Parts: sequence; C-alpha cells; structure tokens
Amino acid sequence: MFDNILSGFSAILAVGPILGIIAGVFIGIIFGAIPGISCIMAIAIMLPMTFYVDPIIGITMLLAVYKAGIYGGSISAILINTPGAAASFLTAQDGHALTKAGKAGKALDMSLFASVSGEMIATLVLILVAAPISAISLQAGPIEKVFLLLFAFTVIGSMAGESIPRGLLSCCLGMLFAMVGMDSITGSARFTFGIDELIGGFTFTPMLIGVLVMPEVINVIRRRKVPHHELAITHSPNPADNRISFAEFKKVFRTILKSSGIGTFIGALPGLGSSTAAFIAYGEGKRTSKKPEEYGKGSVEGIAAAESANNAVCGSSMIPMLTLSIPGDDVAALLMGAFLIHGLTPGPMIFFEHTETIYAIFAGFLITDLFLLGIARSGFKFFVKMASLKRYFIFPCVTVFAFTGAFTAGQNINDILVLIAFTVMGYGMRMVGLNPAVFIIGFILTPFLEQNLDQAFAIVGDDYMRFFASPFAWVFIVLSACFVYSSMRAKRKASKVPAPAEEKPA
Amino acid sequence: MDRRKIDVVLSTLLMIAAVIILTNDNLADGGAESDLGIMFLPRVVAGFILIFAATIAIQSFMKLSKGAELEGQEVISTEGFSGIFIYIGIFIVYWLAVPHLGFMVTTPFVMLGVALLLGGRNWIPIIAMSVITPVLIYYGSREFLRVYLPTWTL
Repeated sequence: MFDNILSGFSAILAVGPILGIIAGVFIGIIFGAIPGISCIMAIAIMLPMTFYVDPIIGITMLLAVYKAGIYGGSISAILINTPGAAASFLTAQDGHALTKAGKAGKALDMSLFASVSGEMIATLVLILVAAPISAISLQAGPIEKVFLLLFAFTVIGSMAGESIPRGLLSCCLGMLFAMVGMDSITGSARFTFGIDELIGGFTFTPMLIGVLVMPEVINVIRRRKVPHHELAITHSPNPADNRISFAEFKKVFRTILKSSGIGTFIGALPGLGSSTAAFIAYGEGKRTSKKPEEYGKGSVEGIAAAESANNAVCGSSMIPMLTLSIPGDDVAALLMGAFLIHGLTPGPMIFFEHTETIYAIFAGFLITDLFLLGIARSGFKFFVKMASLKRYFIFPCVTVFAFTGAFTAGQNINDILVLIAFTVMGYGMRMVGLNPAVFIIGFILTPFLEQNLDQAFAIVGDDYMRFFASPFAWVFIVLSACFVYSSMRAKRKASKVPAPAEEKPA
Repeated sequence: MDRRKIDVVLSTLLMIAAVIILTNDNLADGGAESDLGIMFLPRVVAGFILIFAATIAIQSFMKLSKGAELEGQEVISTEGFSGIFIYIGIFIVYWLAVPHLGFMVTTPFVMLGVALLLGGRNWIPIIAMSVITPVLIYYGSREFLRVYLPTWTL
C-alpha cells in the first residue's frame, strides 16, 4: 500500500493536477461562500468540463471543489448568519456571535483550521481502510451484492427523506427512471413508447444538473425580492481577536480530534450525512467542555467541533462509495457519476483495476487540504468580495453554465429538454417533500442492482431458498429492518417535539 | 397552497402509473430472454411505488378529512411563482432558439433576461457580462474541450 501511496503522490505532483486542485479550491470556496447555494451546484457545473481531461485531473478537481465548498459554506454562516447547508447551522450560531463581537477573523480562522484538520484525519482513514474493506467486499458474490444494494436503498431512502414513505418513494422513482431505454443485459427497449431518443435512456449530466442544481437557481429566482446581504469581515482593534493563536488551537485540539472521529464514523455510514455528524459532535463537545455555557454564544470550541465533524464527512463518505459502490449522500452520488463518466467504476475492483489513479486521487485529496489552508488563509478578503457579488451577476452565468454543461455531455440539443424537464421535476419533488438526492442515488445504483440480480437468478435457478443461504443476506436483512425501525422511532420522536413558537411582530 | 391536496392527486397518478406497469405487457420491446425477465425489476419497483404512494395518499387524505391544521412543511408558499414561470419560459425559448440563432447570439439575451428578472439594473456591467461570458464559453469549449456549441444556421 505504501508503494501505491508514493506512486499516487508522484502522479499528482504534476502541473495539470496541481492546477486542477488550485482551480477547484478557488471555485469551491467562492460557490460555498455565496449564501443560499451549495457546493453541489459547483460540482455539477464543473463536471462536464472535466470530461475531456485525464481522470486524475478531473476527479481531484471535483474533490477539491467539494472540500473547499464545504469550508466555503462556513464563511457566509459566520459573516452573515446564513448557513449554506444545514450542517453549517451550528457554525453560524457561534461564528456569527463572534462576528458581532468584532472577532470574525478568529471565527474564520478556527473554522478553517478545524475544517482542514477534520478533512485530513478523515482522508487518512479513507486511505488506510478503503483498500482492506474492498479486499473483503471482493469476496461478495452477486447474491450478497443484491442484498447489499437493497440494504443501501432501504437505509438511504428511510434516513434521507422527509418521511420514510417519501424517502423510499423518491428512491423508487429514481430506479424507475433508470430503467428507461435499452436494457444492457437483454437489449430490450423498456418504457420508450416508440420514441427513438429514449432508447439510450436519460442522459445523466443534464438530469443531474436539472434535479440537483437548477432547483437551487429557481429558489433564488423565487426569493428574488429578498434583500441582498453583503458579506463583510468585522475587525477588532485588538489583533488577538482577528486570528487564532497556537495556544488557542492547542486548547481545542482534543475537541477537533474527537469531532473528526465522530464525523469520519458517521460519514462512512450511508444516508446520515454531515448535518448529523455536526450535531452529534457539537453535542458531545458541549457535554465534555469546561465552558458549555459559551456554546451557541460565540464559542471557538463550538465552531471547532461542528466544522471538524462536518468536514470529516467529506473524506469518509467516499469509503462506502469506493469500496461498496454505495454513495452515502447527494455529493457522493454526484461524484460517483463523475467516476463512472471517467471510466472508473466505484467498487472493490477499482483498487485493482485503477490502482495508480485511485491512489493519485487519494494523494490529491490530502494535497487539497494544504492548498485549501494556504489559499483560504491568504485570500479571505478576495473570497468574501467574490461571494458578495449581486445575484444578478451570478445566476445568469449559472444558467448558461448549466445549459453548456447539459449540452456538452452528449452534444445533443435534446439534452436541454431533459435538463428543463428534470429542473421542473426536481423543484416539484422538493415542494412535495420527495428527496432529489435519494432519487439520483436510486438512478445510479439500479443498473448495478439489475445486473447482480440477473446473475443471482442465474446462480440459484429454481431453488430460490439459496438466496437466503448466505449469512450476508440475513445480516443485511436484519440491518435494513433495524435502520427502518430506528428511523421510524427517530422521526416519531422528532414529530412529538413541539416546534419553536414563531416570533410575533411587535 | 395545501400540500396534502397535491399529495393525494400526485399519489393517485403514481398509483395509476404503477398499476399500468404491473398489468401492461407491452412496455418492453424486443431483446433476448433472461433468467430475470425484462419486466421483473420494473414491476417490483412499481409494486413498491404503489405501496408508498398509497401510504402518502392515505395519510394526507385522513388529515384532509379530519380538517387537521396545516403543519410547517404542508404549506406551499406560492409567493414568487411568477418568476419561476418566466425563468422556465426563458429556458424553453433558449432551447428552441439556440439551434437556429446559435449560442453566441442567443446567450447574451438570455443572460440579460435572467439578470433583469433578478432585479439587475446596472446596465453596463450586466451587458458586458452578457457579451463576454458567451464568447469565453464558446471559444473555451471549442479550444479546450473540443465541444462545438451551436452556431447560426438561418
């Protein structure tokens, strides 16, 4: 493994990949810092641009956008109390309190150091555990893979949706859309209704941009009358308030380590995501803190706990994707699509078929952290200025990039119609409480499920009980049932908690 | 807008679609025989869609018939919807116009339209952005990605 890591570093330390990482970090921070939009938009828009470059450059660039985007979200959360994602909610609480006290620099610094530390720890775990897990998962045959995929569908569907039926319905709809077109096993045309354009199925990139990115643009269009908030860093006359000293960092290092561990563990489980990690780590940090009363009122330790856990999910969410082909969340689903487009099929075989590429990507993952630290630290003012651009400058460009991205995928103008149709569908899904990310995961995983299911049927023949002969089958059935049950309990518990009373206007 | 009514209508439509998939044998065309059968997985999925859609429809219908108060996520605010229709309209016109007028001609107007919709009135920077961005994308795609965006064909 050590040799592979070294060869990965030698592949990544070239002009192309380094330029890709730098571009990815810049784009990620800017998109992440723009209030109201997430890094997923940046990744989806950048995805078509990576089609024509080497996978090492393309994938590391997208991963850099992802990592930097997650960190960028904390900039708007700290400066104007607008978390780009639910995971930054806690950072916004403590960070904005510090900003109001004139200590924005301290909050931004802590957020950056905690983010980078969390990401690095999770990346090291990813590098160390991914290959051994993939070696174990190589032992799984088609029957085990079928149960594994069913487990993934159940977990992601039941954990990610607004309610369990809505989450699972989103997954089923994604599966159904994946079945449109010519079947790769039999060559039959399914659900094409005589329309030749449907034989190839729905083009992935326009669908992805439509379902995940464009609804965010539509949300901005809908809220276009809400006043624009400009980001600005507040400065304190006391220089110690504008930065984090080594002593302060040392004081919170234990919290960072613990929170990174929590984030890494939660990120490795499909369906839970960064918000859960941030909330658990923040709760644990508060429980063990010497000053728990400061949490929520401008605690540097609180920012460290939330940000390190939130960012640790980045690296560890790649573990189920790369070892078992299960994307744990929407960004992992998007990145899995990127891997597939670049001819790298995530799963245990990737470590044997594309050893050099995958370790180069891992090395890129680590190097990205260093670039993120350097670029973000030296360019706070620039990024704040860029993220303060008025939305009528940003969203016309996003619209054109989405159009170009959808067209670039197949150089087919009909893909724009796919983009428009899925934009409407993606927005409609959000309105009725269906989860677009789960829809995409269902869409991506269905071909794998069908292929393995076909092979499994060929193996068992008429003796259907052989499906349940493997202990893996029972393990996954029990795990699925446990996840659904615990998700039901959690959702019932959450529904019993009274909603906070709305403030009445004076 | 009451989301529960939308739930009932959408779930009903999904249930009808699921029943069609479960009962219609003409949804797949040609191909070889397989152990699994071409419609096996679509029918399993359709069965689940039927169950989940029915669950959502029944829950929403029960709440509607009891006249239960709307909870947070069950209210769909329609404020600002006109902007969405205009934006989708701009996108459809863009899709229809690009094959004939070309990317470079159509895009500045689309960018101007979207900027205007978002309340942009700083004409000079907006016009500059609307002209420069398509030119950069067009030549960038051609030179670096070898993707040829549509040109004027009239």
